[in-house]
Amino acid sequence: MSLTELNTKRGDATDGAGPLGNALSRADGPAKVKGQATYALEHKVDDALHCVIVQSTVGAGRVVSVDRAAAEASPGVHLVLDSTNSLKLRPQPDFFGNWPTGEEYTPFASDITHNGQLVAAVVADTLEEARAAARLVRVEFEAATVVATRDDPSAGPGNPVPMDKDWGDPDAALAAAEVVIEATYETPREYNLPIEPHGLIAHWEADDRLTVYEPSQWIDGMANNYAAWFGVPFENVRVVSPFIGGGFGSKAQALPHSAAAAIAARMLRRPVKLAVTRPQTFTAYGGRPATWQQLRIGATRDGKLLAIDHDGANETAADGTFVETLGVVTSMMYDVANFRSRQRIVPVNTVLPGAFRAPGKNPSAFALESAMDELAVELGIDPVELRRRNEPEVDPETGKPWSSRRLLDAYAAASEAFGWSRRDPRPGSMRDGHELIGWGMAVGTHPVYSSPGEATVRILADGSVEVLSSAIDMGTGTYTILAQAAADALGVRAERVTVRLGDSRLPRAPVAGGSQLANLMMAAVHKTALAARDELIALGLNHPGSPLRDRANTLFISEGRISTPRGEGLAVEELMTATGREIIELSRDTLPEADRSSDDRLKLFTTVAGMERGTNIPVSRHSFCAHFVEVRVDEDFGTVRVSRVVTALDAGRLYNPKLADSQFKGGIVMGIGMALLEEGVTDPRNGRILSANLADYRIATNADVPHIETISVGKPDYDATPLGGKAVGELAIVGMAPAIANAVFHATGKRIRRLPIRLSNLI
Amino acid sequence: MATLRSMELEINGRQHALTLEPRVTLLDALREHLGLTGTKKGCDQGQCGACTVHVDGERVLACLTLAVQAEGRKVTTIEGLAQADGALHPVQAAFVEEDAFQCGYCTPGQIMSAVACIREGHAGSDEEIREYMAGNLCRCGAYPNIVSAVRKAAKEVA
Repeated sequence: MSLTELNTKRGDATDGAGPLGNALSRADGPAKVKGQATYALEHKVDDALHCVIVQSTVGAGRVVSVDRAAAEASPGVHLVLDSTNSLKLRPQPDFFGNWPTGEEYTPFASDITHNGQLVAAVVADTLEEARAAARLVRVEFEAATVVATRDDPSAGPGNPVPMDKDWGDPDAALAAAEVVIEATYETPREYNLPIEPHGLIAHWEADDRLTVYEPSQWIDGMANNYAAWFGVPFENVRVVSPFIGGGFGSKAQALPHSAAAAIAARMLRRPVKLAVTRPQTFTAYGGRPATWQQLRIGATRDGKLLAIDHDGANETAADGTFVETLGVVTSMMYDVANFRSRQRIVPVNTVLPGAFRAPGKNPSAFALESAMDELAVELGIDPVELRRRNEPEVDPETGKPWSSRRLLDAYAAASEAFGWSRRDPRPGSMRDGHELIGWGMAVGTHPVYSSPGEATVRILADGSVEVLSSAIDMGTGTYTILAQAAADALGVRAERVTVRLGDSRLPRAPVAGGSQLANLMMAAVHKTALAARDELIALGLNHPGSPLRDRANTLFISEGRISTPRGEGLAVEELMTATGREIIELSRDTLPEADRSSDDRLKLFTTVAGMERGTNIPVSRHSFCAHFVEVRVDEDFGTVRVSRVVTALDAGRLYNPKLADSQFKGGIVMGIGMALLEEGVTDPRNGRILSANLADYRIATNADVPHIETISVGKPDYDATPLGGKAVGELAIVGMAPAIANAVFHATGKRIRRLPIRLSNLI
Repeated sequence: MATLRSMELEINGRQHALTLEPRVTLLDALREHLGLTGTKKGCDQGQCGACTVHVDGERVLACLTLAVQAEGRKVTTIEGLAQADGALHPVQAAFVEEDAFQCGYCTPGQIMSAVACIREGHAGSDEEIREYMAGNLCRCGAYPNIVSAVRKAAKEVA
């Protein structure tokens, strides 16, 4: 029987009829508001030493020497580490498959490929002592020529990435098109910047047994990182991460500083705590690379798309490959018969870029949705109407039917709520005093990915329930929705369910990335809880001690009571007591039947091998959203304020609409920052990040964010996932920046194709 | 070598005797020496607001305050906000009800700022709340719900 057939709720996406779909408050909320949620560095580990890292001050070259003497002589110092005295680890690939060079790996660089690279570390009794001693480490560099960014002429055109997409004959179609829009769109380096910086406590509890307290979006993947580096069994590494202070893609792998802390702890045989400083975070993890995309769109005069020709590129590191997949929205959003997409990467002296909320999708939509607005202006067609005319029946790239695509509903709901029909399309036509008012819109999308998951469900003697998984909750709501899933399947109240997450000793889970975790863990917990319910019912029917024995052919469980069809029954805890059961404990997984060996299991949960991106699925699975935005631009100063946002979203069934809505709004807020504020600025001489702090790299503040109205137009989509949800977490950032840029054009008549939009662009 | 210094800090109504280097910040004294980890370190340079505590009733960034500067003054942290029986402060309760956070890491600082913002009389309108809460960054983007929570709590506290 499939999970879909077993599903017990069929209502609207936000039905609220039972525990599932109900807008419960966050289960971990009280702990968080009282300051009692324990984040990684807050675990109490006795005798921990403090480690402070030292980063390179040149952007390319090599380390000639490290003079450790002054630091070693500094009070409280236990160890000063660099590449020459560090314990050597076994090389292993990073998240993206890049291998370090050489037979041995040390996280401390001797060859410098980017400014801010880890070169040394100091371990001392106190943080203050380690910090002071770190300033005494004298590193002599031999500097080489730096290619700081892709703007450096010597960066060159880069290297093609084998992800060409081709159909039809775009050249011929463009040549014949009545209207062609051609433009280049650019986004700067953008950084994840969770408010909790990276860091960890590494504790070797025995020579071959390591416990790591580290914020993690992927407990099992990171445990595997450490096991592989140190050559110890996977089971001997415990990663603990019950709360994560934000990740947005940046906390899914152990990084060089993670290895440094674990090495120091191993060499000193003492626990070591390492907190990456805020400025250091800008080079400890790369964030979204700078991107640029050239688009040519051909259309008929009445707004039918004929061809899209797309050429995208992103910066990568000199010594590693990261691809920001810029053609992903371009190829599936609109019905177009002739298409070409190319992608290049341009190596420069930067830390390896990485995943940042909606990688690929987000900048891809910035280019496509800006260009669609330009086309609408050129044609004199309303931008919503232009999109309606090009709504595809099937996924144009794969030809597969959509599992669901309620974008037309989203247009209708959001434009109605926004009052779009009152828009005067002429740029600069709407004003309020000295403020120019602009109304713009754009769409976003995110694919639905799926991976297997595991869960354990326990029914305890007191009738309470526990759900166990090494999945994580970084504010995404996992603690809450998994309790709702178990409560729904078991027939108990959600408040009776406790969820334990974030520990590699618990049943395994894949990466919390690609907006996949909620759907796959809901399926795993649903399946496990149903099995537990069956066992409870069997206990009631068959156990000699059960008061319900031989009273019925089947039993029902609802509101924590187990009953016959006639209503005769007792509380679950009473049945447990009557039958002498201390516990019912079951574990289930959603692994494919063919991949259930322990090797398969390890591989599927510690690599991305198990992630299904759609190749083997007969339908095309995506979430969608339509953003409608009002901006106010000061005519004299060019300042842009977002004054109103209405977004309608199709993310399938919402397991908890309150928490999903917070994710939607969070994406919109991050999109406001992306459009107007965020920019990593690099010194062209040496590759140093000049904006490496939260004042110079500006993220949206409370004062930058207006009232936001969100409307869910989703319905349960059981072709997308077993319980009917689609992608939530990364959806709403996609399309937000172009909606703002389009609104700015409407206000000012100025088309800004390079983010962020600055006041200097507008005056 | 830095010399150690004895100090007495009054935190959440309790006296704490500490012997620390004078360069230890109030934030590190709380987190590393007193086990009061509810106050968060987001930037350690006065830019994010995650370490907001009250000193003599006013909001202060604990990362820009040396522990010795707090001697003889009353420090209140997030751990000191709930009532003795564990009942949530109205601002804490409103943050839960309005889902005014996701990851929760900036939350203690947001709440300490919100309590002061209301007390200062700066919660009169959504615009005012946004302005007076703008020193506390939230990367999850919970700002609209933070405004709702502060507005709601301000009515209850008044």
